[in-house]
Amino acid sequence: MRAKIAAGAGDASAGPQLRPRGSVTGSPRGPSRILPLLFVVPFLVIIAAWVLAKSAFGVSDAALPSIGDVIHASSQLIDWGILPYDVAASLYRIALGTALAIVIGVPLGLLLGTSRYGVIMFGPFLRFFRAVSGIAILPLLIIWFGFTETTIQVAILYTALIPIIFSTMVGVRTIPPAYRDAIETMGAGSARLIRDVYLPGALASIVVGIRLGVGYGWRALIAGEMLVGAGGLGFMIFGALQFHALGQIVAGMILIGLLYLVIDRLILAPVEDATVRRWGVQRG
Amino acid sequence: MTARDRRLRHAIFMRALPVIPFAVLLIVWAAGWEIARPPLITLPSPVEVGQTVRRLWDSGQLQANTSASMYRWVLGFGVGVVSGLLLGVLAGLSPLIARMVEPVVSFFMAISGIVWLPIAIVWFGLGTPTVVFIIWNSVFFLVFANTVLGVRSVAAVLEDGVRTLGASRVHIITRVLIPGALPHILEGLRSGLGFGWRALIAAEIIGASTGLGAMIYQAKEFLRSDVIVTGVIVIAAIGLLLDAGLGLVERRTIERWGLVTEGAGTR
Amino acid sequence: MVRRSPARAGQLLADHDVTATSKRVPPTRQGGRIVCRGLAHTFVNARTGESVPALDTVDLVIEPGEFVTVCGPSGCGKTTLLRAIAGLITPTQGQVSCDDVVVRGPGKDRGVVFQELAILPWRTVRRNIAHGLEIQRVPKHEREERVAYFVGLMGLSGFEDKYPHELSGGMKQRVAVARTWAANPRVILMDEPFAAVDAQTRLTLQEELLRISIMSSNSIMFITHNVDEAVFLGDRVVVMTKRPGRIKAIVPVPVPRQERTVEAMADPQFVLLTDQVLHLVRGEVQ
Repeated sequence: MRAKIAAGAGDASAGPQLRPRGSVTGSPRGPSRILPLLFVVPFLVIIAAWVLAKSAFGVSDAALPSIGDVIHASSQLIDWGILPYDVAASLYRIALGTALAIVIGVPLGLLLGTSRYGVIMFGPFLRFFRAVSGIAILPLLIIWFGFTETTIQVAILYTALIPIIFSTMVGVRTIPPAYRDAIETMGAGSARLIRDVYLPGALASIVVGIRLGVGYGWRALIAGEMLVGAGGLGFMIFGALQFHALGQIVAGMILIGLLYLVIDRLILAPVEDATVRRWGVQRG
Repeated sequence: MTARDRRLRHAIFMRALPVIPFAVLLIVWAAGWEIARPPLITLPSPVEVGQTVRRLWDSGQLQANTSASMYRWVLGFGVGVVSGLLLGVLAGLSPLIARMVEPVVSFFMAISGIVWLPIAIVWFGLGTPTVVFIIWNSVFFLVFANTVLGVRSVAAVLEDGVRTLGASRVHIITRVLIPGALPHILEGLRSGLGFGWRALIAAEIIGASTGLGAMIYQAKEFLRSDVIVTGVIVIAAIGLLLDAGLGLVERRTIERWGLVTEGAGTR
Repeated sequence: MVRRSPARAGQLLADHDVTATSKRVPPTRQGGRIVCRGLAHTFVNARTGESVPALDTVDLVIEPGEFVTVCGPSGCGKTTLLRAIAGLITPTQGQVSCDDVVVRGPGKDRGVVFQELAILPWRTVRRNIAHGLEIQRVPKHEREERVAYFVGLMGLSGFEDKYPHELSGGMKQRVAVARTWAANPRVILMDEPFAAVDAQTRLTLQEELLRISIMSSNSIMFITHNVDEAVFLGDRVVVMTKRPGRIKAIVPVPVPRQERTVEAMADPQFVLLTDQVLHLVRGEVQ
C-alpha cells in the first residue's frame, strides 16, 4: 500500500507527503503468480453484491440502476456525442487550471521559499486561504462572473494554486544550504541559482504539490460544473438527476473515478517516481 | 542593547510578520472599496461585513446555520472515523487483504465526496442525510486507507519483539499495532477532517437548505455578497480551528513519543 | 596515528609522472593573495538574544600559491574564518581582502570545498565537475577537456555518467574537489573535506591533493582537525586557540611539497614538527 493514499484525496495540511513510508510485507508463502490478479476480487464482490441487490432483494430501478442500465446509458451518451463532449470539457478545464496554477504558483513558491521571512510571513496567510476551499467561494465567483466558464476556471485555479505554492516553498527550504553556498562560491548569479539549484532541488516536492493540486482541483471542477451548468462531467451527472436517469448518473460516476485515476496514477505518479528515483534525492 | 531587549524585539517582530499580509489585504480591500464604490452585489466593504456579522448573529441565523453544519459534520466525521478505523485495523492485519483492497479503495477515493451527490439525493432527498452521507464518504476511505497503511508499516520487529515475550494476539493489536500505526492514523484523521469539512460545505451548497453552505448559496440568489463573505470567513475559521484541534492531539501523542512523520515540520 | 605504507609512496610518483602529463595540464591561475586584517566575528542568536563570539582578532596573510593548513580544537572558529574569507558571512569586525579587493560576498575567485556534501545530486559526475566552467561560460570543448583532465586526475574514470548517490563517500568528495579545482579559482578554500571519509581513502586523497597542488599555482587554505594531515599538506600550519579563536602560532614546514613522501615524513625533522603542532593544539584542548 503506497503512502500516496493521502496525496490524491487527502489534505495538504502536512505539506507534501514525501517518500512512501513502509511497504506491504507480503506473506512469504504467498502464491506469486495469482497475486497480481487478486485485486479484481473486491471489484467482483461489489459487482456480485450489485447483481444480488437487484435480483434477490429486488431493489427498485428508482433507487439503483441495473448494470445493464448503466451500460446502456453509457453507449447512448457516447452515441449522442454528449459523453465525449463532457469528458473533453472537464479535461480541458483541469488541464488549463493546473497549467496556470503551475505557472503562477511555482515562481511564487520559489520567491517565498528563498526569502528569509517569506515562509513566516505568508505561511498563516496561505493556510487561511487553504481553509477556504474553492467550492466555498463558488457562490462569490458566480456573483462576480456569472454562470460561466470563467467561474469554473477561477475556482480550479484557486484550489490548485495553494498546494503548489506550499510544496514549492517547502521544497526550496529543504535544500541543504551547502548546495547554494557551493554554487555561489563559483560565481553564480540568481538566475543560475534558480535554474541549477532551487528548481531541481525542489522538483520532487513540486511534483507532489502538483499531484495534490490536481486532486483538489478535480473536486472543485466537479462541484463547479454541478453549479454552473456549462457542460462537463459534473454537470452531466447532476443534470441527469432531473430526468431520474440513474444509469447515466452511475455511468458518469464511474467515468469520473476512472479518469481521475488515469490522470493521477498513470500520468502524475510515474513523473513523481521518475524525479525522485532518478536523482536518488533522499528526504526525511 | 541587552540580550533581553534583543530577544523581545525579535519576538515581537516574528509575531508581527504573519499579520502583515492580512493587514495589507484588509487595507487594500477597504481602500479599493472607497475608491471604486462597487455595488453591494459585487463586493462589500469590510465595514459592511462587520455589520452583517453582527446582524446575522443577532438574528440567530449565524448560530443556527453553524450548528446545523457542525451537527452534520460531527455525525459524518464520527461515523467515518469509527468505521474507517475498525475496518482499517481488520484489513491491515492481513497483508493479502490489504494489498487486495487497495485498488478498490483508491477507486472509491477518487469519487469520494460530492460525486456521490446526485445519487445521494436520489436515495435520501435533500437535507441532512445526504450531507452526512457525503461527509462519511469523504472521511471513511481516507481514514481506512491510512489506517491500513499505518498498521502495515509498524515494523515487524516491534511485533516480533512483543510476541517473543509471549503476548496474545489481542495484546499485540491493542498495545503494539495501534499505537505504532498512530502517526498514519492521525494523518488520515487530519486529512479526513479538512476533507470532510469541505465536502460538507459543498454538499450543503448543492443539496441542503440549512447550514453554512446553504446560507452562502442562498445569499447568492439575493446577491448578498456580504453574507457570502461572512459565511466564507466563518467556514474558514471553523476549518482552521478543527485542524488546530487535531494538531493539539498530535502534539500530545505522537510528537511526544517522537514518532513524527515526514512533513510534520511543515505544519 | 595512521601510517602511510612505503609501497604507496613509491607508487605516488610513479603512477603520475609529472613530466608525461605536463603537456595536458591545463593552465592554472596565479594564486590570489588573501589578507585578513583584524578579523573577528560574533554570532547573535536572534531568538534568545545570546551572542556567541566565534572568532577573535585574526590577522593572516596567505601568499599567492601558498598551501596553508589551519588546525585547532573543535569550535575554535576555523570554519567561521573560512566562511568569512569565502564571503559567505560578513565578519562583525575587521576585513578580508583578496588581491587588494575587499571581500563582500562569495565569488568565483574564491572556491570552496565544503565538509558536508555539496555536489548536486541531480547532476552526473561529469556535469558537476563542469559546473563552475559552465558558470564562467567556458566554451564547450575547452570545458570538456578540463573535465576529462580532472576526471582522470581524481581517479573518477568510468564514473563520469554516474549520479552522486551511486558513489561512495570518498568518491563524492573527489567530485567535490574536482569541481572546485576545475573551476580554477585564484584561492581554494577547503573545510575539512576529508573528515567524513574512511582513514585509508583519506590518505589517498591527501596524496592526490598534494600532487595537484604541486602542479598548479592556486593559493590553498585547508582546514582540518587532523594534525598529521595539516603537517603533511601545509607549507605553513596555522594553529588556532580555542573559542573564541585567535592565531596561536604559525609553524612553517620547510620541506618542499615535491619531496613529501612517507620516508620524508619519518624524518626526525618532520616528526619533531608534527609533535610540536600536536602539542600546541592539545594545549588548547586541555
